[in-house]
Amino acid sequence: MKLKIGIYWGAACGGCDVAILDTHERILEIAAAADILFWPIAMDFKYDDVRAMPDGHLDAVLYSGAIRNSENEEIAVLLRRKAKAMIALGACAHIGGIPGLSNMFTRDETLKRVYIESESADNPEGVLPSERTVNDGNELELPRFYNTVKTLSQVVDVDYTIPGCPPASMQIYSAIGLIADGMLPKKGSVIGAGDRALCDECARTKSEKKITKIYRTHERLPDPETCFLEQGYLCLGPATRSGCGSRCIKSGVPCRGCYGPLDGVADQGLKMLSALASVIDGKEEQEINATLDMVAAPLTTLHRFSLASSIPRRKKV
Amino acid sequence: MKRIAIDPITRLEGHGKITIFVNDDGTVENAYLQIPELRGFEKFVEGLPVEEIPRVVTRICGV
Repeated sequence: MKLKIGIYWGAACGGCDVAILDTHERILEIAAAADILFWPIAMDFKYDDVRAMPDGHLDAVLYSGAIRNSENEEIAVLLRRKAKAMIALGACAHIGGIPGLSNMFTRDETLKRVYIESESADNPEGVLPSERTVNDGNELELPRFYNTVKTLSQVVDVDYTIPGCPPASMQIYSAIGLIADGMLPKKGSVIGAGDRALCDECARTKSEKKITKIYRTHERLPDPETCFLEQGYLCLGPATRSGCGSRCIKSGVPCRGCYGPLDGVADQGLKMLSALASVIDGKEEQEINATLDMVAAPLTTLHRFSLASSIPRRKKV
Repeated sequence: MKRIAIDPITRLEGHGKITIFVNDDGTVENAYLQIPELRGFEKFVEGLPVEEIPRVVTRICGV
């Protein structure tokens, strides 16, 4: 029997949806194995079509995007009810992703910057979006913009995760194959990725790491064959799950951790800090701290994709 | 008065909804396009190292 699947995006860029389409002609195999009953980027089904489905109607839902507002959460809860398997697709749903960086600021700071202070804003009355507006007697609603960005698993029960920003297309294809073949592993598993650190798959030459200086990528030209970290460039490979195919590394830029942490790691950024501390060459605390101080914007660099899923989750206000 | 909601609008990148208010005689009184989505890149790029910005703002739109 054909699978029934739904695909949705919360606070997302559409890159996960495009990664599904980037399976190219294999999309025909996906279409042969599954009827897609909801997919806003590509098909015309509405929220009411989903509401009308019996509970558990969909075999799987692929939810990409973070939970930024009440609509993202409301649709996540709705799709959870309609889905036998809820799958977090991509870094935003998995660990908050880039939208999670918003947790460095409050809701009000963000709204003010965007709608009032923005160089392109023409808003002399300082109007901000509100949940209810009456215009010419017509009542209109908008979702509530949250103070804190959340991951999918912080609002609904998630069965599986396909990590990455975006997930590698072939990994999505393989994961859909697992659903179609009824071969899904135990609940809670990460699918469509490796189970080792990125460093274990990285082709760059590695020797004993002893660094005394951390370079920013514009400060000098990295050697294309040698481990970034060994050369003093902050690379999140030691704290990041493999499965991307080392695409950033191969493009000459260090890893920023989009595939998220390995199993059993509660905070990817802290894991990286621990890895970094172990390779710094220095005996005195002062000397070690001086090297660590060279990390530019440490919180948002170590948690580039994972701030919303980190232990602090957001900047204290 | 009748209210017609097209929610979400589909086959495009991003979120949107259209609400149409229709008079009893069938004429349209008002129609609204709303964008319920905001992530706040304008704010959260503040404080990031400048050389990291290209890898962050490419996530504004991945289509």
